Amino acid sequence: MGTLPRSFARPASSPPRRPPADARGVRAFAQAHLFQSPLAGLFTFLLGAVVIVALWHILRWSVVDAVWYAPDNGAACRTATGACWAVIVEKYRVILFGAYPYDQQWRGGLIVAIWLAWGAVSATRLLGVGTRLTGWALVFAASILLLGGGVAGLERVGTDLWGGLPLTFIIFGGTIAGGLPLAILLAIGRRSELPVVRLLCVATIEGVRGIPLLALLFFAALILPLFLPPQLTVDKLIRAEIGMIIFFAAYAAEVVRGGLQAMPEGQDEAAKALGLGYWLRMRKIILPQALAIVVPALFNDIIRAFKNTTFFSILGLFDVLGATKAALQDPNWVRYGTEGYLFVFLLYFIICSAMSLYGGSIERDNQRRVRRAT
Amino acid sequence: MSAPRDLVVELSGVNKWYGQHHALRDVSLGLAAGEKMVLCGPSGSGKSTLIRCINGLEAFQQGDLVVCGTRLDGTQESLGAVRRKAGMVFQNFNLFPHLTVLENLTLGAVYARFEPEHRAVERAHGLLARVQLTSQTFKFPGQLSGGQRQRVAIARALMLEPEVMLFDEPTSALDPEMVHEVLDVMEELARGGQSMIVVTHEMGFARTVADLVVFMDQGEIVEAAPPQSFFENPTTARAKAFIGQISHAT
Ligand SMILES: Nc1ncnc2c1ncn2[C@@H]1O[C@H](COP(=O)(O)OP(=O)(O)O)[C@@H](O)[C@H]1O
Ligand SMILES: [Mg+2]
Repeated sequence: MGTLPRSFARPASSPPRRPPADARGVRAFAQAHLFQSPLAGLFTFLLGAVVIVALWHILRWSVVDAVWYAPDNGAACRTATGACWAVIVEKYRVILFGAYPYDQQWRGGLIVAIWLAWGAVSATRLLGVGTRLTGWALVFAASILLLGGGVAGLERVGTDLWGGLPLTFIIFGGTIAGGLPLAILLAIGRRSELPVVRLLCVATIEGVRGIPLLALLFFAALILPLFLPPQLTVDKLIRAEIGMIIFFAAYAAEVVRGGLQAMPEGQDEAAKALGLGYWLRMRKIILPQALAIVVPALFNDIIRAFKNTTFFSILGLFDVLGATKAALQDPNWVRYGTEGYLFVFLLYFIICSAMSLYGGSIERDNQRRVRRAT
Repeated sequence: MSAPRDLVVELSGVNKWYGQHHALRDVSLGLAAGEKMVLCGPSGSGKSTLIRCINGLEAFQQGDLVVCGTRLDGTQESLGAVRRKAGMVFQNFNLFPHLTVLENLTLGAVYARFEPEHRAVERAHGLLARVQLTSQTFKFPGQLSGGQRQRVAIARALMLEPEVMLFDEPTSALDPEMVHEVLDVMEELARGGQSMIVVTHEMGFARTVADLVVFMDQGEIVEAAPPQSFFENPTTARAKAFIGQISHAT
């Protein structure tokens, strides 16, 4: 009683100031991250040395001692100690376009150019989501028309001759164009109140997820025709594509379902209270938000779908990898498989990285636009 | 089917169970056109359940519920008809975060009432002016304060030109300094003759606005009286205790 509390709080009146400056510059960085203790310094030094030696060897093999041009079936390569990039110079048309008729390969080149161009335009985010998606649909349709021909005076080219990068793009485009809507339907169906619909969706998703992609593709491309009546000939490419679509959809459906589950109940209720029916609520309220949440995970699946196109080479379809394999069968160049496959690796790496960046930009875009309001 | 007398909402003998839990017990009430009803009662007494049944967000097992002449019988048609005539305002706003304030307002009008977009936009601007949010028209809900969000939610419900407005604790999620701006809007609506049922603990609002105060406890209507007599001469012990607690808290 009567004693003052020993706790205290001191009123202040200070105008807002800038935070204290962090230590910056190379020295400060090295001290903080590379040499903060003698042991850390030793590791930095040793690992740095290993990296430098490795880089030097790679550089010598791939650039200094490399052969870029080797006429006479690669004579110059046989004596070289470095990489023989001449194999790419010699075979790039086969690698990029497969067995597609040589004088028509400009059509494949045009397809690749359209894809890159639209990819670049839609990455700038000047356009709305709707425009971008419509654009991709048109690009995809144009690719098929260009490669297949038979319209606008273009010579008809059968799918058995399609190959290389244009084929890879078309397989990939078809997988996403067909697989994403199917994934959304499967995810919605899995949450349906109708038991039959739910069971069907669960069975599809779980069944397909239990099968390796290769088995599914073999079944669709090679085994299925044995059971179909002979009059019903569906193109092998289309059969395999259907396998790809179902495989992609089964995985993406689970991703989409995660987004649906993350939606607060109140969103659907508020939409109901406005008198909106089920599909309108899905289309206008639930899906736009649920899909925005799962963009990162979805791009994971999309990038994997691009890499999965390489499975088509096993079915005797000449996607980029299949075309490369075929090109390297030339006895004069068969020894330079490393260089050939490295080129393909680089191609995939660049395309997949670009998609990854694209996905990241959409994600940041969403975060900026959609600020959560409970 | 026309409403008996001029009731916009009429419940007779409504019973609802959540599993074994009897959440609404023989609830009967009627809201006359143009009148305001305030629902109060302790937490868990079934106020939200009741108001959610009225626009079909919850199904009930027994009894009769007629809203603006439509009997809720569980069919999609009756649900749609009722929801287009009853505006709902939630405790947590439930605005659509991916749409602008304006789009939040026009969505229901365009897609559920098939109103031409330019007409809906025009009405939306009018309503935003009425809740004093004209400057926020093109913002996203996440950029607004709680009080502003709830006013947007009220404007969104008003876009239906509802015959009755249902409010479920519209100020409970708000910081104290924002409560009055929402209550002001609701009072203005009430003065304009809007029929409404309001679940709230704001007893000042109940006193000045309500025609009838309904006190619920454990899923039952315990007492119903005009505010004057409800607050001054509650007849039941449960209502007395509740009023005692509420007036101590405020
Ligand atoms: N979805 C539900 N499932 C099961 N019980 C529920 C559900 N919603 C509410 N209840 C129960 O019903 C009773 C009434 O709840 P509610 O209507 O939310 O009360 P109030 O809004 O008056 O606080 C409570 O006992 C609550 O636990
Ligand atoms: Mg409640």
